[in-house]
Amino acid sequence: MAVETDMQSFAASGGEVLTFTIDGAVYGIEIKYINEIISYENITVVPKVPQYIKGVINIRGQIVPIISVRKRFGKEEIPPDERTCIIVLEFDGANQVGIIVDRVREVVTAKPENICATPQHKNVNATHYIKYIIEDESGIKLLLNCEKLVLELDTPVHG
Amino acid sequence: MAKFEAGMESMVDTYIFETTSLLEQLDQILIKTESESTFGEEEINEIFRIMHTIKGSSAMMGLENMSHLAHAVEDMFYIIREDKPVIHDTGRLYDLVFTASDLLKAEIDIVQDDDTPPTDFSAHMRAIREYAAVLKGVNTAPAAAPEEKSADRKTDPNELVEVSICGGNSYTTHVVFEEGTAMVNLRALVVVNSIREKCDKLGFEPEDIENDPKSADIIARDGFTICFTPVAGVSADEVTDIIRNATFVKEAKTSYTGALKKVRSGDLTHVRVMFEPDCKMENLRAMMVINNIKEDCELLTYFPKDIENNQETAQLIKTDGFFIAFRASIPDEEIFRIIGETPSVRSIDEVTPEHKDSEKPSKASEGEKDRQVQDSTGGGDIKTVSDQVKAAKKTSHTEKKQSLISVNLSKLDQLLNMVGEIVIAEAMVTSNPDLKGLKLDNFQKAARQLRKLNSEMQDIVMSIRMVPISGAFNKMTRIVRDMKVKLSKDVELVFEGADTEVDKSIIDSLNDPLMHMVRNSMDHGIEDTPAERTAAGKPPRGKITLSAYSSSGEVVIIVADDGRGMDPRKLLDKAEKNGLLTKPRTEYTDKEAFSLIMLPGFSTNETVTEYSGRGVGMDVVKQNIEKLGGTVSVDSKPGTGTSFIIKIPLSLSIVDGMEVSVGKSIFTIPINYIKESFKLKPNQLLTDTDGHDMIMIRGECYPLIRLYELYDLEGAQEDLYEGIIILAEADGKSACLLADGLIGEQQVVIKPFSPLLNNFGVKQNGMSGCSILGDGSITIILDISNIITGM
Repeated sequence: MAVETDMQSFAASGGEVLTFTIDGAVYGIEIKYINEIISYENITVVPKVPQYIKGVINIRGQIVPIISVRKRFGKEEIPPDERTCIIVLEFDGANQVGIIVDRVREVVTAKPENICATPQHKNVNATHYIKYIIEDESGIKLLLNCEKLVLELDTPVHG
Repeated sequence: MAKFEAGMESMVDTYIFETTSLLEQLDQILIKTESESTFGEEEINEIFRIMHTIKGSSAMMGLENMSHLAHAVEDMFYIIREDKPVIHDTGRLYDLVFTASDLLKAEIDIVQDDDTPPTDFSAHMRAIREYAAVLKGVNTAPAAAPEEKSADRKTDPNELVEVSICGGNSYTTHVVFEEGTAMVNLRALVVVNSIREKCDKLGFEPEDIENDPKSADIIARDGFTICFTPVAGVSADEVTDIIRNATFVKEAKTSYTGALKKVRSGDLTHVRVMFEPDCKMENLRAMMVINNIKEDCELLTYFPKDIENNQETAQLIKTDGFFIAFRASIPDEEIFRIIGETPSVRSIDEVTPEHKDSEKPSKASEGEKDRQVQDSTGGGDIKTVSDQVKAAKKTSHTEKKQSLISVNLSKLDQLLNMVGEIVIAEAMVTSNPDLKGLKLDNFQKAARQLRKLNSEMQDIVMSIRMVPISGAFNKMTRIVRDMKVKLSKDVELVFEGADTEVDKSIIDSLNDPLMHMVRNSMDHGIEDTPAERTAAGKPPRGKITLSAYSSSGEVVIIVADDGRGMDPRKLLDKAEKNGLLTKPRTEYTDKEAFSLIMLPGFSTNETVTEYSGRGVGMDVVKQNIEKLGGTVSVDSKPGTGTSFIIKIPLSLSIVDGMEVSVGKSIFTIPINYIKESFKLKPNQLLTDTDGHDMIMIRGECYPLIRLYELYDLEGAQEDLYEGIIILAEADGKSACLLADGLIGEQQVVIKPFSPLLNNFGVKQNGMSGCSILGDGSITIILDISNIITGM
């Protein structure tokens, strides 16, 4: 099955995951997507785009759009504090997108035996963006599907 | 397998860039000379120089086929330059050179593709050689040398080499290259070229480093010997330093070798050495003889010459013997003894040259040998070399591209980003919160200076990436030229605004679309015969105009012909037949009908009507332009012509913008859209029956667009009388925009939105891109024409 081979390749690539929290829950993103983590800064609003796109920021001359993961997941937004971070992701080697998260935790290595697929619930919205679930001693982490989270246009979730 | 020599990968980019621009230069020269139908000396020299460079660099890259083709063309122009034949068949000459240029260009395109084997150019080379032979035939000069030989003579100034041991103010340098250096013979050539200007007389050993790959092995093994006489005012040390600093040179030792004086062959001792009849490889044995006596001779030459590399000399030595002429520093008898002790030497005879006057070479072998001696030790050929050097100097003055260098584009991107970072850093320092409330006169003064320098630097860096569009336009002259011949139509190509500057990356992707459009105009736009044009009341000569201008963040490129134009009804007929219409036929405007030609599949149906074929490649044009984020539209009038209008946003163009604030946001309005800005007076405001506000200015009524309303922004000034009204005009329509206030005028660099945002139609909502302001914050650039037309 395709999911399994993908899971294997993920585990084989080292399975390193950056974890962060949003609204108390722990999420993870595969390290290969991550360019850098910056602290929250002023975001320039771009009008007339879906609400979960907060705007754009300037990262060394690059204009990078910023997505609020809270808004994307249909959660209430909170005012940024000193722990609020922007994780800058990179797709296809050039296309950068930043996501706002509550706080960044650590980089963990997911062991193959700790990775399991998501339940196939069609009507559970939250699983829509989740690729795998990683469960180890420190707890449960939800590995996000970056492509879907960032690039998918349809079904924006509104709280 | 890679086509290049190992270790050459790093040179590939440079090679491709250089060769491509040389070929472009060649095309331009050819087109110019063809239209003026004269071949000036300067042009011939230029073509010659281009081909020579391509030959050399291709050989260095190990691209034999290209090198040989360039060589063939070079040979041909050598004949033209030297013998000045009367060229009867000029058309054929141009065809040959143009084809060669095309072949080389095509080969460059596949040069990095390891799967495609190198193309075989032998057919075309033969054609060139044949034509060259014809040229030779036309030229009646009796003393004309065979083509190959003459070509060789001019490319290698080596005949002077025999000055291997000489006296006076000449020096000998022994150069050893780094071990494992690839193509060491060409490295040696580079060394020689680098000192050529500093040397009056110059020779080297081995000789044929340019064309003979075997010389690489010799240099690698024995090193490379250069004999030179510096020009007045240059010391031998200076020259040695140049040699030593050349790339890959491991060491260079210079020794004084005395004067280079003209020696009459009679002053030398001449001997003929015969070898044992069946000793084999006479040439190498002769080499041994030379090596043995080299140390003890002041002057030395021999015949046949190329004994080390040329197997055929063995036969010559076997039958005629090996001739040596020398002046020894030890008694001649000693030399004889040394020669005699060399293995396989059978006999040594002292010979007296028959012709002491070397100006008249005789057919006898002695005489020929004399000439060798004279040539090598005398001034004859060396003078030719210094003449060549002078000629080279002269032509280099006429080169136009002297002040240009090529830089990798990604480095420029980095530089630009870095400058942006510096500007941000500067703002962080100078408006640092820690400085608040302090009185820092000197600091402020220094900060102002820094700001000034930074903004100057920004301007320069931004201007670096911008290149005039003429580069893309000039390529079209070639296409028009070729099609003119093929279609036998008389067409002139006119440029307008060719100095419009656009970003380099745009130029590169413009070539294909432009080519398709020009072809279309040539093929289908312009009438088939001048008679047809005259009948329509137009000048017999067709005209295609390429024009470009930049207009607020967009570059507009128009390809217009004055041909027969298109009839929208016929286009609709055809589209209907092909099932390409998406709405009822009557709803199509003329403009929409013209755009049909850019649909894929529109032109597949080949019917012989006046518009058939229009659309060949047009869908490609559309795709390419859209990839750049631009648009293509077509306008046409039956009987008067067709124009293609391309609008491309300048991905990195600089725009004069007016920054306006709306709530917390800052927008930039390109200044050339702004007619005026003012505070509203109560008597200017009108409201129509639907509640739309309108503003009356000098008897004209304009609709009002509230920017905060348009973009759903909070915290903006909603009072019309408090905010500022900006009257903007685009595409002939005007409107008033309401903003909170004007911040200031600034030059900004347009950066396109990321693809993610483009997916949400930011362009359709009147935003053409972003820009980074001096303090690092982002401003959104408004696309006024979209806002106004979108009302």
